[in-house]
Amino acid sequence: MSINDLLSILMFVSFIGLILTGFPVAWVLGGLSIVFTVIAIVLDIDLGFTLGVDWAYASLSVNRVWDVMKNWVLVALPLFIFMGMMLEHSGIASDLMNNLSRVFGRVRGGLAISVTIIGVLLAATTGIIGASVVLLALLGLPVMLANGYRPSLATGTVCAVGTLGILIPPSIMLVLMADRLAMPVGDLFLGAMVPGLILGALYIFYLLMISRLDKRAAPVPADAEPVSVAALLGVFRAVLAPVGLILAVLGSIFFGLATPTEAAGVGAFGAMLLALLRKRLKLSVLTDVLQQTTTTTAFIFAIFVGATAYSLVLRGLGGDELIESALFGLPFGPTGVVITILFVTFLLGFFLDWIEISLIILPLVAPVVQSLGFDLVWFTVMFAVCLQTSFLTPPVGFAIFYLKGVAPEDIDVRTIYRGVLPFILLQLLGLALIFIWKPLVTWLPSQAY
Amino acid sequence: RPPGVASESQNSTGGTGFEIVRWRATSSFTSNLPIIGQPPHRVADNLARMSGGAFQMQVFEPGEIVPALEITESVKEGKVQAGFQWVGYDQGRIPASTLISAVPFGMEPIEFSAWWYYGGGRELGEALYAPHNVMPILCGLTVPETAGWFRGPVESLDDLLGMKIRFAGLGGKVLQRLGASVTMIPAGEIFQALEKGAIDATEFSMPAVDQLLGFSRVAKYNYFPGWHQTFSAAHLQINLDEWNSLRNQTKTMIRVACRAAAMEVISEAEYLQGAVIQDFEQQGVVTDMLSTEILEQLRAVTREVLDEEAAKDEHFAKILKSQREFSEVYRYWKTRGYLPRSF
Amino acid sequence: MQVDASKISEVFPHRERFPHTRLSAFTRRSFQRLLWGLSWIWFGLIGVVVINVTMRYLFGEGRIEFEEIQWHLYSVGFLIGLATCMDTDNHVRVDIFHANMSLRQQAWVELYGLLLLFFPFAIAMLAFSIPFVSYSFEIGEVSDAPGGLPYRWAIKSFLPLGIALMLLAAVSRLSRVTAYLFGWPRNVD
Ligand code: NA
Ligand code: NA
Repeated sequence: MSINDLLSILMFVSFIGLILTGFPVAWVLGGLSIVFTVIAIVLDIDLGFTLGVDWAYASLSVNRVWDVMKNWVLVALPLFIFMGMMLEHSGIASDLMNNLSRVFGRVRGGLAISVTIIGVLLAATTGIIGASVVLLALLGLPVMLANGYRPSLATGTVCAVGTLGILIPPSIMLVLMADRLAMPVGDLFLGAMVPGLILGALYIFYLLMISRLDKRAAPVPADAEPVSVAALLGVFRAVLAPVGLILAVLGSIFFGLATPTEAAGVGAFGAMLLALLRKRLKLSVLTDVLQQTTTTTAFIFAIFVGATAYSLVLRGLGGDELIESALFGLPFGPTGVVITILFVTFLLGFFLDWIEISLIILPLVAPVVQSLGFDLVWFTVMFAVCLQTSFLTPPVGFAIFYLKGVAPEDIDVRTIYRGVLPFILLQLLGLALIFIWKPLVTWLPSQAY
Repeated sequence: RPPGVASESQNSTGGTGFEIVRWRATSSFTSNLPIIGQPPHRVADNLARMSGGAFQMQVFEPGEIVPALEITESVKEGKVQAGFQWVGYDQGRIPASTLISAVPFGMEPIEFSAWWYYGGGRELGEALYAPHNVMPILCGLTVPETAGWFRGPVESLDDLLGMKIRFAGLGGKVLQRLGASVTMIPAGEIFQALEKGAIDATEFSMPAVDQLLGFSRVAKYNYFPGWHQTFSAAHLQINLDEWNSLRNQTKTMIRVACRAAAMEVISEAEYLQGAVIQDFEQQGVVTDMLSTEILEQLRAVTREVLDEEAAKDEHFAKILKSQREFSEVYRYWKTRGYLPRSF
Repeated sequence: MQVDASKISEVFPHRERFPHTRLSAFTRRSFQRLLWGLSWIWFGLIGVVVINVTMRYLFGEGRIEFEEIQWHLYSVGFLIGLATCMDTDNHVRVDIFHANMSLRQQAWVELYGLLLLFFPFAIAMLAFSIPFVSYSFEIGEVSDAPGGLPYRWAIKSFLPLGIALMLLAAVSRLSRVTAYLFGWPRNVD
């Protein structure tokens, strides 16, 4: 094993070890980038190993952070967070969920299913996981917990549903993949649509099942009233505002009023307007919402900043090539190759984030898969589902991290890990379905345009 | 295989008689892109072969280590030893960079190569980048872009100006001057914005590249010619200290590999476009030329914009003057030597 | 069952277990004020987006300046926000083991983490970002978009500024850790 491979593995193992100490994930990532730069420099000077990682190289981190700063697409992140915070602080979110619980209170798992449906709608407005997870956590988590839902089920639902945003268009992940493979982003958007909805349906099916099988997972509240006309009217009124808001965001994209990024701003503005109409937009509410938007946005970006420095140095040490050489030593037939690639991607997703994987692996494997005669859109969508799963898989699951950042303090990471587990299995089930029935992906793109 | 680093000891030859060089290079175009994505990989490949493996240049994808628009600065500081890009991406930092990468109503590709290699262009380009510690080597020369993809027909200048259009660079400035509503929404959002009508038109690249992005499905009017980019040149930028430390033998290999890449790129580009446009027509896309009248109006404003830029920047003025002087003389040949395009 | 909106607004757990020092009490007050002022940036951002969309849709007029102002505002918001996150410890931690540690153990994690991971990273980033800003200033960098915003160095300089403020917040946090572990500096609680 070369010194590069050894250092790459060490850098990786250090990361896993150090985040378990509980020191902030962002600064473990950032700190290791410097520690391993120093190690590489020392090895170079003292022992003559030329590793190619020095201060000049490490300073690319700054250019990479700048690339995040001027990324207009990411402007949607604080805007959606603001929208969620505003709906929550102004009481619109709790009105919505309370009313939903009056109707669904008698349906086992009803609240989690409402969260799933809202999440699917939300996924069609944003492609940024941090934004959807935070928004859904604010909308749904408190009410589910207050209604006696098992914390692992409640948090698992929010995490999993929150990740649908990166599969259901618009999605920055699909945009990046299309760019990397030089293929039409429209094909990928349409190809990922049905699989995204299938996953949403699988979640709902699971929630229905589990709440019946395990009576304490999603209990019917003791004070659940029978569904009355008044309750239905209340729901109608409460749902009207936030769902209308989501549809306004969707609509402004769909009718060409705004790009997806701008639509986020329209949503934020709309949330403020709603609060105002309901006479709940006090100055204190507004300043609270604004401040929490700052802190939530900043903690997510802290992770971006740390992660970009870490992956730069890991790549410099040759971590990419290590993965690459492992992938290409595969002794399988065509279908076996595809299955292996997806499986390896799934495994890598436990530790790496989607940007890493789509930058490193996708350009390598896509030509191989294509030359084996497979449809590239079909393959890329399955690849995307694997990466969507990577947000959920411990230890490095960004959806888990984002949720952890906004969940009540007594919810620990372990609870969330337990909660996402069944959803990871559902993801694999969804993946198998797409693998077996290709038209689930390829039909929609072939119909359009 | 260890990742690339700066050249080792000057005299090290690894027994091949060639200088041992280990470089990291980055590209602003993904390797899956036909034509313009290829040169850095071809150059790296040829350098390795020519030197019997002594010259190893590892080429990274855009964003893999260096963001696509941060190449000059990274090369300047020696963060990477080399970078391949369309240097017009520097126009916010080095305004004249656009003149050696693409100019509205500028030269044709072969005309540009005549100017670059024989008309003093290379020296001007090197002088432009020397203060930034960068050596630019022409390494990719390609065909014009199209005038853009439109959701509706463009029969007059008013049609063009009435549209919300995504348009980069000096061409964008020209349209703005004429009163068009120009935006610069991110590349990843163009397709959807065009599909849904958040914008009415976009310029992007040459037909063979536009085809990959699927614009033909959402915009049914593809206009020509690429008045805003009559040629596109890409350069391999090398950190000047690294360059100066190389032996002449190695420098020659790099220059030769880049000239070969430039020739390959333009050949591939010329080869591919025709069939692509034919295919657009079969998909029901209108592939018309903008009227001479529109082009003349655009050219008049382009001249104003270029003159204004020249007044603001010394390098810009010098290079523009050189290009105009060359083109004036070249015109005697250009208008006589070739058959009219319609033949 | 009704949910009280005011209760769920406490979404950020503040890890306030370490004692305050004079420095940290000062930075807390200052950063809270900074946070209050800074956060209006999102209000401005929403306004710019809405104006931009309205102008383009109703009047068919696109403005590249407005598009660029959007990411200028957002990057100022998150860069300066980093410092307030550090001050109130709004960071994601994997708490599988951390939650069960004694306060003293957590303090040691914090001490070593800050000294060996955070400070080297932040100081290096600060050092890297200075030539990055000064080059932009020297060459008078402007936007590369037609009609884009001038003074790129101004927005770029928020990067070192944000890191410097975050370093200040981290020093203050370090003082709380050492106050707890070693009794120095004296705590003010
Ligand atoms: Na989405
Ligand atoms: Na993961």
